[in-house]
Amino acid sequence: MNCPRLKEWLEERYDLDGMKRLAKGKLIPEHRYDLWYYTGGITLFLFIIQFLTGMLLAFYYVPHIDFAHKSIIEIVTKLNMGWFFRSLHHWGAQLAIVFLFIHLFGTLLLKSYRKPREFVWITGFILLGISIFFGLSGYLLLWDERAFAAVRVATGGAGAFPFIGGFIKAFLRGSMDVTGDTLLRFYAFHVAILPILILGLIGLHILLVQLHGMSVPLSLQAEKRQEVPFFPNVFYRDLAVWLVVTGVLVTLAVFLPPEIGVKADPLAPPPENVKPEWYFLFLMQTLKLFPGSILGMNGETIAILLVSGAILFFFLIPFFDRKSAQGEKSPLFTWIGVIYLLYFLTMTAVGFLS
Amino acid sequence: MRRMAIMGKFRIRFSSVWSARLMAAAILLLPVTAVAAPAVEKIAKIAVFPTAPYYIYIVYESLAVFWVAILGLLVIIRMKLREIERIQALGVEKEDQDAPLLE
Repeated sequence: MNCPRLKEWLEERYDLDGMKRLAKGKLIPEHRYDLWYYTGGITLFLFIIQFLTGMLLAFYYVPHIDFAHKSIIEIVTKLNMGWFFRSLHHWGAQLAIVFLFIHLFGTLLLKSYRKPREFVWITGFILLGISIFFGLSGYLLLWDERAFAAVRVATGGAGAFPFIGGFIKAFLRGSMDVTGDTLLRFYAFHVAILPILILGLIGLHILLVQLHGMSVPLSLQAEKRQEVPFFPNVFYRDLAVWLVVTGVLVTLAVFLPPEIGVKADPLAPPPENVKPEWYFLFLMQTLKLFPGSILGMNGETIAILLVSGAILFFFLIPFFDRKSAQGEKSPLFTWIGVIYLLYFLTMTAVGFLS
Repeated sequence: MRRMAIMGKFRIRFSSVWSARLMAAAILLLPVTAVAAPAVEKIAKIAVFPTAPYYIYIVYESLAVFWVAILGLLVIIRMKLREIERIQALGVEKEDQDAPLLE
């Protein structure tokens, strides 16, 4: 499409050539680990899909305990392609979190967090936390018995945190138990508060990546390597990867549409073998490892404290890893990363199979 | 009177025979209904995918067409990328700032 008059009109007002030069001037290093660069782009693409499908679902969803479950049934059964968009939203969320974890562990093992990119890691880590809360808040909106029980367990677990646990639990639930207030609160988080936070953080994360440029692993820094312009080379490759991800997402949405359970009844006993979403399974399995009481102290509180400590250490890794900050190899932190990854995978698999 | 009496006898006979048969059928059907109970549960499950064969066919057909389109686009992107890389290797993609303009 060639529109010379429109081009002229825009060029008179904006520095289009400058923008073009900027896009062509941005260079991406090519090496044997450059595949990891695409995981961030895939996550961003999945977030865009989540925003679009979420907007469509929000037209018909009713955030009220009497109508929430019914409105989802109506979206799925009565609306044209409603089942497909709900399924896309569900699988988009699952894949986004999968790719967030891949991106996180890739960054950790390649030490891309090292000086001067500490804030890139920090913003990415907070983005992961927000995405997980996005998943939890979206899960409750279904208002079926499994979602209800899972959120009751998750918010109850947050309550076991010493000193501020009670406040967190009350803040999340909006009342003593999971009720209509919790549903409304989670809806507000899911469609208003978290999207604003995530948009701001994604913007900051991308800005920081542009500012620092792409990180090259320490082991490859001495090697002579090629660089390719972001536009058009990497842009086209990104486009190809996004197309494949779209295909996989649509296929999953068609073949495995998510089920809708029985409407939640706060007075009914929880269903048997209730499990949280897969990204909470490692946490659930860890809590199971601890006895009810350790040296007269609440076992669950100790478990939550230990897990929080481990997550805090993970969050602050760029500040602990002094060696890689100085450009030296730090095998200790590679092993720490591998242990974290293996623990997460093993506990998730055990939680899934048990 | 006689006609009514015949009709009455017939009714009694008919009803007793048929009620016995219905009872037998109901008893025989009991295990069948027990076996069929999970099927009833299945029907009660909310359908999260189109149930009409025609729509199922359309969905799968659309998915196949979608993948064909994706593969086609991937081939086009690959061709385009190769062309860009070939031009970059020749070094002729850079704009010559001193090139004379023909007005």
